Parts: sequence; structure tokens; C-alpha cells
Amino acid sequence: MFRLKTLLFLLVVTSILLTACGGAAATPPAATEAPAQPEQLSGKVTLWMWKAAHDTLINSGVLDEFKKLHPNVEVEVVEYAPTDVYQKLPLALQAGTGAPDISLVENSHLAQIVSLGGLTDMTEWVTPYLDKMNAYKWADAELDGRYYAMPWDSGPVVFYYRRDVFDAAGLPSDPESVSEAVATWDDYFNVCQTIMEQTGSACFSNNKANNYGRLYEMMLWQQGLGYYNAEGQVTVDSPENIATLEMMSKFWDANLTSDQLEWTDGWYAELAAETDAKPIATLIEAAWMGAFLKGWIAPGTEGKWGVALMPTIEEGQVRAANDGGSAFVIPDQSQNKEAAWALTEFLFGNVENQVAMFKSSDFFPSLEAAYADPVFTETDPFFADQPVREMYVDVVKEVPIAYVYGPHYPEMNGFVATAIQKVATGEMSAADALKEAADSIRAQTGMP
Amino acid sequence: MAKTTLLKRPALRPAEKLAQAWKDIYKVRWPYLFISPFYILFLIFGAYPILFSLYLSFTEWKGLGPIKFVGFRNFELLFKDKIFWQSMANGVILFFMYVPLMTFLALVLAVILNSKRIRGFRFFRTILFIPYIMNIVAAGFTFRLLLNQKYGLVNTLLGIFNVSPVPWLESAWGGRVSLCLLVIWAWLGYNMVIMLAGLQTIPSELTEAALIDGASPMQAFFYVTIPLMRPVILFSVVLSTMGSFNLFSEIYNLTGGGPINATLTPVIVIFNQAFGNFRLGYASAMAYLFFIILFVLTLLQFRYFGQQVD
Amino acid sequence: MPIRRLSLFLTDILMYGLVIAASAFMILPFIWMVSTSLKPADEIFAIPPIIISPNSTLNAYKYLQEQYNILGIVKNTFVIAFSATILRLFFCALGGYGFAKFRFPGQGALFAFLLGTMVIPGAVTLVPVYIIMRDLKWIDTFWPLIIPGAANAFGIFFMRQYIMSVSNELIDAARIDGAGEFTIFWRIILPIIAPGLTSLGLIFFMGSWNDFIGPLIYLKSPEHFTLPLIIRSLVGPVGRTVYDVQMAASVISLLPLLIIFLIFQRRFVEGITAGAIKG
Repeated sequence: MFRLKTLLFLLVVTSILLTACGGAAATPPAATEAPAQPEQLSGKVTLWMWKAAHDTLINSGVLDEFKKLHPNVEVEVVEYAPTDVYQKLPLALQAGTGAPDISLVENSHLAQIVSLGGLTDMTEWVTPYLDKMNAYKWADAELDGRYYAMPWDSGPVVFYYRRDVFDAAGLPSDPESVSEAVATWDDYFNVCQTIMEQTGSACFSNNKANNYGRLYEMMLWQQGLGYYNAEGQVTVDSPENIATLEMMSKFWDANLTSDQLEWTDGWYAELAAETDAKPIATLIEAAWMGAFLKGWIAPGTEGKWGVALMPTIEEGQVRAANDGGSAFVIPDQSQNKEAAWALTEFLFGNVENQVAMFKSSDFFPSLEAAYADPVFTETDPFFADQPVREMYVDVVKEVPIAYVYGPHYPEMNGFVATAIQKVATGEMSAADALKEAADSIRAQTGMP
Repeated sequence: MAKTTLLKRPALRPAEKLAQAWKDIYKVRWPYLFISPFYILFLIFGAYPILFSLYLSFTEWKGLGPIKFVGFRNFELLFKDKIFWQSMANGVILFFMYVPLMTFLALVLAVILNSKRIRGFRFFRTILFIPYIMNIVAAGFTFRLLLNQKYGLVNTLLGIFNVSPVPWLESAWGGRVSLCLLVIWAWLGYNMVIMLAGLQTIPSELTEAALIDGASPMQAFFYVTIPLMRPVILFSVVLSTMGSFNLFSEIYNLTGGGPINATLTPVIVIFNQAFGNFRLGYASAMAYLFFIILFVLTLLQFRYFGQQVD
Repeated sequence: MPIRRLSLFLTDILMYGLVIAASAFMILPFIWMVSTSLKPADEIFAIPPIIISPNSTLNAYKYLQEQYNILGIVKNTFVIAFSATILRLFFCALGGYGFAKFRFPGQGALFAFLLGTMVIPGAVTLVPVYIIMRDLKWIDTFWPLIIPGAANAFGIFFMRQYIMSVSNELIDAARIDGAGEFTIFWRIILPIIAPGLTSLGLIFFMGSWNDFIGPLIYLKSPEHFTLPLIIRSLVGPVGRTVYDVQMAASVISLLPLLIIFLIFQRRFVEGITAGAIKG
């Protein structure tokens, strides 16, 4: 009797445990002998990317085209927020299991993930594309002369502004005049003051206590600066970097900015606000921002936006920077690398498909041959029929080499963001805060 | 039983001794068998990791590739690491911000509910305790929603009384206060229930006698209840101390350690170093130092605790 | 003594005021959580705030099922919490019995050691345990959430205290009848300590159901997620936070525990207070 009961109990427990865990055991996609012939590629390709990117693949129809070409390849997209990718992908790479066949990675985190190891060496595959993509995109994909990523898009930074607010402030609102009016950050400061006096609108959003440094990075990039230099020395506390942060604080001190944190509902609401509801007047951001404004942040403001060139710190510098941009990596543990590369090359190495994706969502191609497409001269009703894409192309060609991203980017960004927060909340001067950050970075990364 | 057999036994040769010892142990094999699962699991998931962690703390390792031995470098770095020491300081600040307040509130509420002067004892006890069963992720995000500076319900309600919007999650002290609100919300009921159980062990005649002798309810509370409750109070304080340094999910889901690192606690910093920067060696060194400091702190409290109880 | 009666009256008012204020503070987040989960998106930040929207909808809940298969997530959470609880109860009762009803060499030291392990913060073992799980190929499975905690020091301590109050006569009688030691545990002890098991089981179940850091580290695929993890994953840095959906998931995560708690409230409270008072 007792034995039977005991046995039953153990059976129940083990069966529960087995269903619990058996169901969870991740089975990697079945290994397939992948021959080079495209029509014979088969098997499953899992792909990690965020929602905006997934929507682009679907809405532009490129995924369907790929399926027509390779009917035996099944593509499964898993949507993750970028922060989740940066946590899960390295863990999966270390674990040797659980990684997808392809993952999308932003350039900001690419070098860190490349330096961890565990990615497929794509050098043989990407060599034909080395001189076909924006040159600066390869820096984060390379380690010791080998390449571990294939670029998708670039983030040429421009100056978005509300034409209606400029009109209300009595300022000229056509793109040429605005570009001229905000030629330098000093000019920009005067424009912001006029806007604040005339309309009460904040010039741009730059949160104080939770600032994460993205705008500051664009300002550095525009000057060809960064967190370190070509020799690998930490430059976080260089006079130029300090001056840049001091420039930023001028806007805080004069109360010209909104404190809404980027990518929160308060920020969306101020970007989408009606003319008389004190909308945020300007926004310095990369080309992909256009699609977000149009698509889901402020679709109701069609025709009220314009695009100009970003301001420079010193007169006469290039008016271009990069923010974000992304690339595909193929984990070494993938069982279907051939098919994964076929998809990667099909999407990013092919002018037609890059253009199709750009049309659908303003993910700006890193593939330079794409710029010849007539779509880049088209006007856009959202920006009051301005041919904004021409400007993106002009800007991307000017983007200087800068040293913002790199294998230690997350740590550096963290320390500098804290410094910016301390300056913004009046806790420390720019020089002291950046010195403190630089010391910490030197100690922690071992960089000189 | 075992003892008597041992005494009666004549002198034995070593081999026999060993066999006899084994026999003795075999006789009492059952309790060893019964308690063994804990020690086996602890060996694998406790002892081995603690030793491995100690080894890792002298190395540099990203989790992949070779493990590089670096001697005491991690600890040298650690003593200069402002973020780590700030996180320890934050633990102390948070402790003083919420532990005394929460303990006092828990005791007062327990005394009130226990006084039988309040109707609906069960009802109120249930209400006050329910936050304890809510998972902290859900609680964190609900608080984020409530405390949003511009759109949150709390600032909207305060606006009715002409209070200008409070930067709950938008300033260093606002972040700390918000975090304390969340922790008190989640843990007050738990502490109160412990106090209630403690109060029920105090004979009610004692406080009643004090009241009859002319003491005010306040006096009775401070001069009769609190001294008798000392062991229970200290138990809850010791638990809360360990809690304030070990806060993780509360912070991860409410403030993320910000604003301006004001709510970073050691566990968050260790987690970020391990799973954000992949510096497993450094994270291990940090965990070790944290463990030692916390251990000493707990030991001190237990000594204090012990003295008070005597 | 009118002054004295007045002061007692005022104390009563103060006492009610405090209890009601504290209760309001405790209840407010729940009200807002439920209310937000039922609101259409454009009313979430409406000013003045809307508590019960006339346009209430279950869309957020439907969305959760369609997009995230929330019932599957509930099932994951339950399977993990239930397996972990059963396993823990079994080993804790067994260990507690071993310590409570036997005398054996090294008992005191072993028990002190067991209690000592309770002060080790989880942070120390975070990295190495992760490496162990990785080498066992247990990442993205439920095992790391079930196995390491299967015998828990607090639980053994709790069961020891509980079993000490069980009379020895029953055990001795069974031994004389020739019952094996495990049979005695299974047949005699377990039924007697059922109330204690319930108390402890409720605490274990709640802890596992609400666990966040474990699933955060070990679960990778969305189809293996647990409820706390799915609530967390509903925020993205780019894109609107779907507050209604997030709050709906929060409601779903709370409801089962709330029902269990309301049914077993007494046992629950016993479990929590036992450590503090008896210890």
C-alpha cells in the first residue's frame, strides 16, 4: 500500500517536472546540410529584432520576396526591445545555446558584442561590400581585421523643426533659412530664446535627472570627437568635451528646454501637440526619426514639420553626425548560417530591397548605391513637401569619423550620462563632472 | 542506545574500530539520509559557487574564452570605484529613510488593530497585508504610472491642493522617496502581521492595568508595549536591514538605479557589471566585498539583538 | 472624568484615521491598476483622471492573449511555482523530520550550519550559479528555477519547529509495528503536519510565482516567460508603453494569488509569523 502511494507520488512529481522542463528545453533549429545553391537552401532561420524593424520587413514586402526566392527557408522573427537583445544575446552567445540565427544589433552595442566573441566570422561574405557601405559603419563590425556584422542602416543626424512654431515666433520657417539661422549652437541658442519669448514653446527636450547622453553624443560626433581618440586615449574630460557640455547647460540655465524624457509618453505628447499647446519646437535626431514622427508619434502634425541641417559647435565645421544605425550578426552556434547569410545579403546588399525598406520606414540604407534611386529626390507631405531624403544623403556623406561607440560603450555612456545628470541638476560643474567620469572610465576600462 | 553499546564494547583493533564506526553511523543512517538533500544541493549550488566566485574575483573573464588571473587588481579597483561605494551609501540612506518609519508604522498599526477598540480587525488586516502578495514588477510599474510627474494620478491629486508637480522620478531625492514609498507599500503589511503576532503573546492585562492606573493610551504604548515588543521589533529591523541592501526588483522596475545613481544599490551594480558589462571577475569581487560587509553588519545587529533580548 | 473620556474619544478618531489612511494608501495602486487595464488608451492620462471609464473595454486582455498567449504564460508560471513548491515541501518536511525526531552525531553543528547559510546574499552566487546552469545546458529551461531551491534552509527550520510538537508515541508505536523509517515519515508524519505544510507551501508558492530575478536571468524565449517577466518585457525604449496591457498583465498575475490568499489567509499568516515569533 505504502509503496504504491509513494510510487504514485513520485510519478506525479516527476511527470510534472518533466512536462515543466521538457517543454522548455530549447531545441535549436534542425541542422541541415546547406548547399550553396540558393534554390536549395532550406530550414528555419530565427531572427531577433525590435518591432520597428520587423514592421519594416513586413510592410516593405521584402520578406515575402525572400520567401518566393527561397520557398524552403522558414523565417521566424522574434520581437525584442533593443535592451533585451543586449542582455539576452551575449548570455546566449556565452551559453553556446539559445541564440537566434541572426540578430539585429544597434551600432552603439555592436563593438561590445563583437569583442565578447561567439559570432560568425563574416569576412569572406562581406568583403565585396566593404567599399559599398558608409565607411564609418565598418568600424564597430571589425575586430583584428576580421568582420562580424553586415550593416543595415545609418543614422545621419538632421534638425527637425516645427514650421508652425517658427511662424508663430515670427521666424522664417523654410528649410534654407532655418539651416542658416541655426548654423552654430550659439545661433541656435538665440533662436530658442526668440521661440520661448514669442510662443512659450520649449526649444527641445533634454531631461535633466535621467538624461542618458544621446544628444551629447551627437554633439560630440558632429565635431569628430567622442569618448576616446584614435590612439585609444580617454578624452571624456578633454577641453572640447567640457566645452560641449557647457554649451548644453546654457540651454538648461536659460530654461529653454523641456524636461520630458525621450521615448516616454510625455515626450510624444509634446511632439504631437497643436500649435497653440506649446509643442516642442525642434528635435535633433537621425533620419529614422522621420518615420517615427510620421508613423506613431505625431501623425496628426502632417505638413507642420521641416528638416534643416544640425548646428555646429564651431563655425565652419561639417553639419553632420550619426546616431544609432544597426547591423545583422550571425551567432556562431547557428545551425543554418548559409540561409542566414542569404537573407542578410538579400536584405542589405541589394539596392532594390534597401530602397523598398527605406520607402516603408526611413531606415536609411548604409548601402551607398541605393542613393541613386529616384525615391531619394521625392518630396514628403509630412514635411510640407520638402525633399528631405536628399538632405539625408548629403548629410550621411559628411558624417565624420568619431569615437563614441566601441567595445566599452555601455560603461562609458553610463559614466558620462551620470556626469551630464550632475551638471544638469546643478550638483557639479561640467569640468568636475567629466573629470570624475573620465577617471572612473580610465580605472574601469584600463584605457589610458 | 548507541552510547551504552559503545561503553560495553571491549578494546578493538583499528580495522574493527572502523567497521564499528561505520556500523554506528549506518544505524543512524536515516536522519542523515533525510537531511542530505539540503547539503547536497548546497554543495552544488551554494558551496561550490561561493568558492568559484572567490576564484573569479581574482580574475578577468567575460564568460567566454580564457580566464585571466589578475591578483588583487579587482579589489584595488573596487576600493576606488565610486559607483560601488555610492551604492553602499545608498543602502545606508535608504535604510534610514524607510526602516525606522516602516517599523514604527507597522507597530502602531498592529497596536491599533490589536486594541479591540477598532471594528473590522480582519478586514483592515487583510487590506493592509494584500500588497505583500503582489509581485514587485507589477507594483513597480503601477507606481511609475501613479508617480509620473506630468500625467500621474498622485501629482494630479496634489494639484487640487495647489501643490506644484513633485518630480517623483525626476530627481535624486524624489527617486529615493518614490522607492521608499514602494518598499513601505509592499512590506508594511508583512511587518505589521509579525508585530500583531508578537502583540498577541503579550498578556492584554498589562496594558489594561496601565490604562486603569491612569496612563494615557500613548503612555501605555511607549512605556508598556514597546519594551515588551523589543525582540519582535528587532527581528523585523534585522530583516529590513538585509532587505535594504539587497533591494533589486523594486529598483530594477521603478527607477533603474537613477536618477543620478541615487537609487543604485550593491545588488543592482553587481548585476549590471555581470550581465551588462560582462565583467564576471569584477562582479564576483564586488559580490564578495558586499557579502563581507553585510555579514559584519548582520553580526553586529545580532549581537545587539542578543543583548537586548537578555 | 469627561476629559479622560474625551481623550479616549480623540484617540479613537486618531486610530480610525490612521488605519483608514493606511488602508487607502494600500488600496490606491490596486484601484489604479484595475482601472487602467480597462481604459481605452486615450483615457489613461486624461485630466481630470477617470476612475471607472464609461468606455471600459477588455481589449487589453484580448490583446495579451492574441499577441503574447498570456494563458500559456500563466501556465508556465503555475508549472514552475507548483513543481518548485511540491519539491521544496517534500525535502523540507523530510529534513525537518530528520532534525526534529532523531539524535545523531554532528546534529548541532549541521543545524547551525544550515541556519548560517540563510545569511548568504544571493548576489554572491549569482555569477557562478549562472555558469553552472550554462554548463548544464539549463539556460532557457525551467530547471534553474526549480532545482537549486528544492531544499530550503528556512523551510527545514520551519518544519523542524513544527514537527518537534508531534508526539513521539505515534512514531515509536509505528516502529514497534515494524514500519520502515520512510514509511513512518510518509504515513504518520506528513498527515499530521498538513497544516504546517499548507502554511509553508503558500509562502513557497507565492515566492516562486512572483520571482523576478531568476526568470530574468534564465528564461530567454518569450514562450517560456513567466508573468513578472512578461510585465517587464512590455516596456520598450522605442515605442509607446502599452500601459493598459501592462496593467492587464499585472491584474492577471495578482488574481490567482489573491484568491488563494483570501481562502487560506489564516494559514498564510501563520506561515509568515512562525519564523519571527517561535524562532
